[in-house]
Amino acid sequence: MKTVKTIGINSNQPVGRGFNFPYDIAINDDLGKSRIIYLLNRPNSATRLGTRIQYFTFEEEWIGEFGNPLDDDEAKFTRPVTLDFNSKNQLHVTDEATDEIKIFDSDGNFQRFIKLDSDSHRNADQFGPAGIAIDSDDFIYVSSRYLNVIQKLTSEGRVVTEWGGAGSGPGEFEMPWGMDVDAQGNLYVADWRNDRIQKFDSEGNLLHIFGESGVAIGQFNRPSSVAVDTNMNIAVADWGNERVQILDEGGSVLNVLEGDATLSKWSHEWLDVNLDEREARNRADLKALDLPEHLKNAYHEASQTEHKFWGPVSVKFDSDNQLYVTEHSRHRIQVFEPVNLK
Amino acid sequence: MPENQIELIAHLARRAGFGATREELEEYAGIGYEATVDKLLDTSSPKWMSEYLIRRYHPDESSMLAGLSGLEAWLYRMITTDTPLLEKMTLFWHGIFATGYPKVLNAKPLSDQIRMFKKYAMGDFRNLLVEMAKDPAMIIWLDNQQNHKDSINENFGRELLELFSMGVGNYTEDDVKECARAFTGWTIGNCEYMELRSARDSDWPYGRISWHYEFDANDHDNGEKEFLGRKGTFNGEDIVEIICEQEATARFIARHIYHFFVADEPPVPQWPYQAPRDPEAIDQIVQAYFDNKYDIRSVMKFVFNSDFFKSEDCWYEKVKSPAELVTGVMRLTESVDRPQYEHSSRQLRMQYMGQTLSNPPSVEGWDGGTTWIDTGALVERMNFASEELGRVETPGSNELFNKIAFEGSGDIDADRIVDICLKHLGTINVKDDTRSKLVNYVSKNGVIKVEDQGIDEIGKEKIAGVVKLIASTPEFQRA
Repeated sequence: MKTVKTIGINSNQPVGRGFNFPYDIAINDDLGKSRIIYLLNRPNSATRLGTRIQYFTFEEEWIGEFGNPLDDDEAKFTRPVTLDFNSKNQLHVTDEATDEIKIFDSDGNFQRFIKLDSDSHRNADQFGPAGIAIDSDDFIYVSSRYLNVIQKLTSEGRVVTEWGGAGSGPGEFEMPWGMDVDAQGNLYVADWRNDRIQKFDSEGNLLHIFGESGVAIGQFNRPSSVAVDTNMNIAVADWGNERVQILDEGGSVLNVLEGDATLSKWSHEWLDVNLDEREARNRADLKALDLPEHLKNAYHEASQTEHKFWGPVSVKFDSDNQLYVTEHSRHRIQVFEPVNLK
Repeated sequence: MPENQIELIAHLARRAGFGATREELEEYAGIGYEATVDKLLDTSSPKWMSEYLIRRYHPDESSMLAGLSGLEAWLYRMITTDTPLLEKMTLFWHGIFATGYPKVLNAKPLSDQIRMFKKYAMGDFRNLLVEMAKDPAMIIWLDNQQNHKDSINENFGRELLELFSMGVGNYTEDDVKECARAFTGWTIGNCEYMELRSARDSDWPYGRISWHYEFDANDHDNGEKEFLGRKGTFNGEDIVEIICEQEATARFIARHIYHFFVADEPPVPQWPYQAPRDPEAIDQIVQAYFDNKYDIRSVMKFVFNSDFFKSEDCWYEKVKSPAELVTGVMRLTESVDRPQYEHSSRQLRMQYMGQTLSNPPSVEGWDGGTTWIDTGALVERMNFASEELGRVETPGSNELFNKIAFEGSGDIDADRIVDICLKHLGTINVKDDTRSKLVNYVSKNGVIKVEDQGIDEIGKEKIAGVVKLIASTPEFQRA
């Protein structure tokens, strides 16, 4: 799969253009104009400064931002995790600290929130909503990192059904994270701590388990996100292995991506006014790797290079089946051509 | 189980770790002192809070973009590790090979340096010195990337001899220059670009890029050198070999070990002019260093089993560093079982007490000892320990309440309350005067009663008050 482009640049400023530990994106393809990307930043554990959603076009035209804790209103985020649109172009965002799903319109105006409830679970003081996926009928699926369950909610927040529970058996979860719904209404869950993807029908019946723990092809290490394109190809953010694996509907691995970043439009703009860094950069070999014994693994290799994925936390497909990989530790999105089976 | 045996093991746990709960101490006492030493020295399969879990909750502690991110992750490890001696040894070497963020300006190489210490902390000292010389953060910290065969920079060579191995007065200025020549060409990959980004504090376009060691053969001085009376075409590894053979090196490292693990010594700059507190102990450690061919684990085994270490004369003779105090307190609360918001503020409290890991005050590290105590720092230390240990809702506090409730229903004697609390906080042996004040405090606050349902909320707050007072005692603040 060839790279289409790289989007973004790092910025440690709490407002304005540039990413700071991006955690997930949602793509709004339904505006009849330019494709709009909504990107969630989750920086700085201590101050939460810079936590916000930014939105911009595929061509890197920056539009705006919202949900910043600096704006002390009900729209502000604490520990947001993932986001998804429903059919009405309403953006839903999970916040694992407040046990809420916050809902915004496509201009970033806060509309309401859904409070998630852990009261029915003994010994649970928090729900910890992580992943979110919304199906074509606007049912909301949310994964709980603390309760280890999936809840299916109506658009108003009423619980329709719930399944799972802590464990490593079929249908059980250990800290589930990202999710996606395919065209047939089936749900895919990144079962993070169990190093696998589980596929369910819309009622919670287990259909398939993909992968197991490990570093070999077809194995996963703490998968954080999963996405399914219209041809039923499955992209898995194999986060702990710093790569993305593409599976077919049956689970066979079609492709393994390790990243091939290029300079984004915003990066070019920055280097154009910092010519000494551009020149020194041009003389460097940023793909070189010769690491000592205590640093020989995917995480450290990713930290030493710039083109490879580092923290590929989220995968999403757009309506043209282009794949977007968001990297929290490289503060950018790498976009790839659609999966080509031939 | 004889109480004096448990008290001796509590002393070991404070020095070879961050203290221990009463239950851990009784478990150690069950296998005996020497077996406990062996258990603590076994660092073959350490476990701590999963780094993946930390990354998931704190993505900033994954990519180390900010200066404090690495030390926050390290603090998680120290609090949750089942192998505390490995963390203590890492702190020990970090204090000697002190490398700081303000010049390096890249948290990932600093964090990688801590990883390197963990790997080599308890092995052959020669390997540790070689890896330290190749460490990218150290190279930038002491300018070895500017140490060229036709233009040496002696900064690293000087500190290697003065601060990392032999100490002042044991080498000549010519030795410094020859040492520097041997380390020419020891640099980092993409040096020009990385040095420029570091100088600029630049994280554009895609965040920090970590560093790796690179040997530039074209920039290495292959000529003959004369170092500490020996001649040869020495490279860095040869220099380290010669350094490690020196008695001065053994004495320097021995005094550091004594200072960190046994009893406070004066700050390092005073060492050439002030005799060690216990010269015989230093002699013995020097002998252990040579007898065991520079193997640090064996040296530590000797130290922990020695009479001078076990002697009650050195119990509570060391002031806990802020890192030791914060870690020890949080381990006692048993409340850090998953990543938490509050974690970032804990490392800030450590800074307020005077210690920011990966940011030493100078290349000499921290002086330690009573320099940790000034009026501001002391109040911060007492407040932190009291606040954290005085929380009634933590698992650690609940264990304490259960122990007191186990005494049976009815009024619990004030003396007994104090006794249980002192044991719960790691078997602290306070002075008689302090103990009587604690007992008076309990008596004045009214009876603590155990009902059928256990201890009520008022009783818990009263017990928490005792714990807060103990956390403020000199014995708790010391190791």
